Amino acid sequence: MNEILTFLGMEDQYKKYELFFGPNHPGMHGNFSYIMTVEGHNIVRIDPDPGLLHRGFEKLVENRLWMQNISLIPRICVIEPDINEAIYSIAVEKLMGIEAPERAQYIRTIVLEMARISSFLMGFGGIGGSTGLYTAPYWTLADRDYFLDLFEWLTGARVYHMYILPGGVRRELPSGWLEKLNETMDYIQKRLFEYDKLIYNNPLIVKRLKGLGKIEKDEAIKYGITGPNLRATGVKYDTRKAVPYAAYDKLEFEIPIQEDGDGLARAIQRREEFQISIDLIRQAVKMMPKEGPVRVRMPNPLKFAVPKGDVYVKVESARGEHGYYIVSDGGRNPYRMAVRGGSYTAGLVYAQKALKGMRIEDVALWMATMDICPPDFDR
Amino acid sequence: MKQNEIISKIIERFPSAVILITDDKQFSITVDENDAVTAVAYMQMLDFKQLAIITAVDWIEKGKFEIVYNLFSYEHLQQVFVKTLIDRKNPKIQSISNLWEVAGMYERDVHEFFGVEFVGNNDLRPLILHNWQDKPPMRKDFDSEAYSNKVFGNFKKEKAL
Amino acid sequence: MLLTSSKDLKDKGLDVVLDFFRKKSLWMLHYCTGCGAIELPPTMTSRWDMERFGMGPMATPRQADLLLITGYLSVKSLKRVIYTYEQMPEPKWLIAFGSCPINGGIYYDSYSVINRLAEYLPVDLSIEGCMPRPEAIIDGFTKLMKSIDKGEAVGYKRYRENYEWYKKNQAEVLERTSPVLKEEVADETK
Repeated sequence: MNEILTFLGMEDQYKKYELFFGPNHPGMHGNFSYIMTVEGHNIVRIDPDPGLLHRGFEKLVENRLWMQNISLIPRICVIEPDINEAIYSIAVEKLMGIEAPERAQYIRTIVLEMARISSFLMGFGGIGGSTGLYTAPYWTLADRDYFLDLFEWLTGARVYHMYILPGGVRRELPSGWLEKLNETMDYIQKRLFEYDKLIYNNPLIVKRLKGLGKIEKDEAIKYGITGPNLRATGVKYDTRKAVPYAAYDKLEFEIPIQEDGDGLARAIQRREEFQISIDLIRQAVKMMPKEGPVRVRMPNPLKFAVPKGDVYVKVESARGEHGYYIVSDGGRNPYRMAVRGGSYTAGLVYAQKALKGMRIEDVALWMATMDICPPDFDR
Repeated sequence: MKQNEIISKIIERFPSAVILITDDKQFSITVDENDAVTAVAYMQMLDFKQLAIITAVDWIEKGKFEIVYNLFSYEHLQQVFVKTLIDRKNPKIQSISNLWEVAGMYERDVHEFFGVEFVGNNDLRPLILHNWQDKPPMRKDFDSEAYSNKVFGNFKKEKAL
Repeated sequence: MLLTSSKDLKDKGLDVVLDFFRKKSLWMLHYCTGCGAIELPPTMTSRWDMERFGMGPMATPRQADLLLITGYLSVKSLKRVIYTYEQMPEPKWLIAFGSCPINGGIYYDSYSVINRLAEYLPVDLSIEGCMPRPEAIIDGFTKLMKSIDKGEAVGYKRYRENYEWYKKNQAEVLERTSPVLKEEVADETK
């Protein structure tokens, strides 16, 4: 195991020591902490310590009206906030029995795919930054600003949009926005080939990622791993095709899979899904109806009540399956809302099994390839 | 298998279950407290292999907690909730951490926020809260705004430096 | 501006000269504590370049000058931020970002988020917004540099002089030993 142990280290009580891969570390993605027991530089036992970002969302939504929660909900995940608004709005529409108009469904699809692309860009930066290649995060964070500018023109804010509401979307597209979107898609398509040269054809990164944290097919299903991590092990499943929402049942796309299941396969899987997102946006812009209402007429937001019932809605986010279980008892406030984040099982449970035997320097890279985001499970 | 075939198999095995259909891809089963773990193991045998979440709902007027197990099947593409009602004053239920390893972490979460005891799970340490002394915070008789005013609200009375 | 007068130097000491150089080379600690940290990478990279002011990220608290609290702070996180602040050598400055450290923001009734940071640590500058734009962040930094130049940003001296007051407030949040809300004696007596 370790040839370089001093004579003191040969005694059992000095062999193992405890190290905090803690919140104040440049390699940690977000505010989260792992308590590691190491022997030399191999990890023997790992214990997650979540709760540094806990705000008590599930209690806060019970004190506010159904419409007041729209301003609170996107703050659950800061990198891709539109999926939270989409889940909440679809759940309220299902409980009330109404449906958004067709033009609004296409606009929702475009906004969700743009958020997915900006989350993938941040993921590429994380993979590059964890190996020391700092050119990658500088390029991707600059490209992400093009999308934030488009969001600011459409909704008024760069990061938290509050644009997808129950009944449709908040306002009509401004004139000239679709042309600017097409220009941005052409630019991103050219940049994608430069990222290939920088990250995927780079022999150092390929050598570090090959064989890192291999997952088998049935192990992935048993541990509840979802999203691009699951498709990289060979399971052909995508929530956008199995349980479609927004306008996904009218668009055509193929589901890519990889066979290996290690770190390199997960990185390549994200690259292929990036290409599919660009194609979906172009299709949606062409097939969108040219005119029509963008919101169904809803009752007075200070007074309306949602009928009794419970429902579970899930969407495909860049990290996996993100879902809420909402219970209503016929009142003006939600009765109970339970949040199932996309990286709950991978970050808390599967990490205890996968990181045993790895070296300390691989922990940050493993977290970047699995795309673990702490606000998902801290709520 | 289609949805009505799965439902008829369940009714054969648990005749006293109450079935409620939400739409053509989601339905829920309510069983007795003693049958809950057997029902979950039976659903796992019917190819419902993904455990999405274990959560609890506090029905304070009836005096009961409702424990919800949320399962999904990749072959049949159906989502099912297995629900059961337990007593609120002394909440206890059997643990399912021998069927799925992730269930241990969900049960730790529900124990911390509701106070439910899972018999058979010996790792129920606090997960998210720090040095918590009051009653479990997600119960309906815990007032979050009063707690916040008492602990963090001094700045409304005296001026900071 | 550099050498004001020999009377100034005699009164205030060498700090007048040193502050002129310190304000042009503030190194901030690389610690993202909350959701406001998503607007820091655009500020650091080439679009709204922060390095032209002499500021850059630094990995350890022992070699940093500036601590940024980006957004809300939960109770568990407050304990670690206090350790970090006490590890930094003087002179040091602290900036509170966003509306949450000012009065609680949108989480004002949460059982796990503190409402006002100035009770637990000395704050030198607050930048409001939810979340503040990169232009607002750079505007805040230039205001901090001006007040360092005048000698008014001395939060670290306030912390040293009123140590017991700060420690009393911190212990009230972090080291409780009994429940806060008393149980009402309800149905049992019926």
